Amino acid sequence: MSAVLRTVNRVLIGLVGLVLLAVGGSVLAVGLGLNPPSWWIHDAGDDVLLSDAERTRWQDAGWWWPTVIAALALVVLLTLWWLTAVLRRRRLTEVRVNTGDGEGALLRGRALESVLTSEAAQLDGVQRAHAHLTGRPDAPQTRVHLQLEPHVDPGTTLNYLTTDALAHARDSAGLKSLPAEVRLTGVKHKAERVS
Amino acid sequence: MSEPQGSEGTTQRLPVIERAAEPDQRDQAASAAAYGPPPVLEGDAGGERRFWSARRIPAGIVALLLLLVAGVFLYDIAAVRANRPAMHWRRELARQLAERPLDDTWVLVGAGVAAALGLWLILLATTPGLRAVLPMRRTHPDVRAGLHRDAAAMVLRDRAMEVAGVQSVRVRTRRAKAEVRAVSHFRELDDVRADLDATLAEAIRGLGLARPPALSVHVVRTTRKG
Repeated sequence: MSAVLRTVNRVLIGLVGLVLLAVGGSVLAVGLGLNPPSWWIHDAGDDVLLSDAERTRWQDAGWWWPTVIAALALVVLLTLWWLTAVLRRRRLTEVRVNTGDGEGALLRGRALESVLTSEAAQLDGVQRAHAHLTGRPDAPQTRVHLQLEPHVDPGTTLNYLTTDALAHARDSAGLKSLPAEVRLTGVKHKAERVS
Repeated sequence: MSEPQGSEGTTQRLPVIERAAEPDQRDQAASAAAYGPPPVLEGDAGGERRFWSARRIPAGIVALLLLLVAGVFLYDIAAVRANRPAMHWRRELARQLAERPLDDTWVLVGAGVAAALGLWLILLATTPGLRAVLPMRRTHPDVRAGLHRDAAAMVLRDRAMEVAGVQSVRVRTRRAKAEVRAVSHFRELDDVRADLDATLAEAIRGLGLARPPALSVHVVRTTRKG
């Protein structure tokens, strides 16, 4: 998931939260007997949420309905974009390999992923591994998920991963760097007595 | 590629620039491939940042709800503009909004729910989340790693079980603290505790966490005869 989308997610969630909190909180406060300032939309506890007069205030103005429809259409389009961006799983299909002679080659992302996965799975103390490429073709990044076997030191395993699997993948694809995000989980198992 | 031992020879030849750029990396690969003791990791750690969740699921739900609400309103308003009658729910909504006073119970309940939901969304937007993932110390500038809390607890439990005199162990890892409760069935409790302290301190170092949790060890005698 790209850094932009992460920010967008948080900003939009925060905005929706702010609106909900402001509306809900103000209605709650006024409804429970707080005296609002005179310019506020609600006067006192016996005021209604949205009176007919308030709702139809601008209805006769020529700009009202086009504006409402345009605003709603904008919201629909933006949320549609947001939803598809959130749902879509970005996968890097190709990695541009610098062959060093001025020409380039394209490496299939899946190939690099499967090599990384199998190399990581072969490391000492790793039961299962999964690698996933993200980023751009000329600057790929990877996310690796490792499931650790019992009786290994996670720090040691991470070091093996860094120096073996990740270094191999980076070097064999001729990349200057391969930023990686690694998650380590354990395999659930029973505690064993040492006999 | 599949032989980790042959890391010097198996990878394809590279442009000279890149090999020169990372000579120490190759050496490390060779030494690590021998599967010796864990290499001493450089200690520039401490300030490793937490993992921030992408907040996919809340974002998806909020987006979907907004889309549905805006879409239905858009459809109905456009239909009314095209001289069709408004849908029943919209007339009902307008009537309810115009009739219910603010101190009506249901309005207050709705407002309370909306405010609480808003607060929760703000909390989601501003906190990192992923509390279960403990950031690990960087061993390489490009690699960011996180260890799951349960995995850390399991490693500590396995190490604690290796101490003589320990019958059973329960480990709880929190963000800053590892709580170990052991039940011992033989040996002096103080000896067991001292051994546990030493073993677990070593194990915590082996976790490779950026902020190693503080260790608290409790040992009790088993009540039944083992």
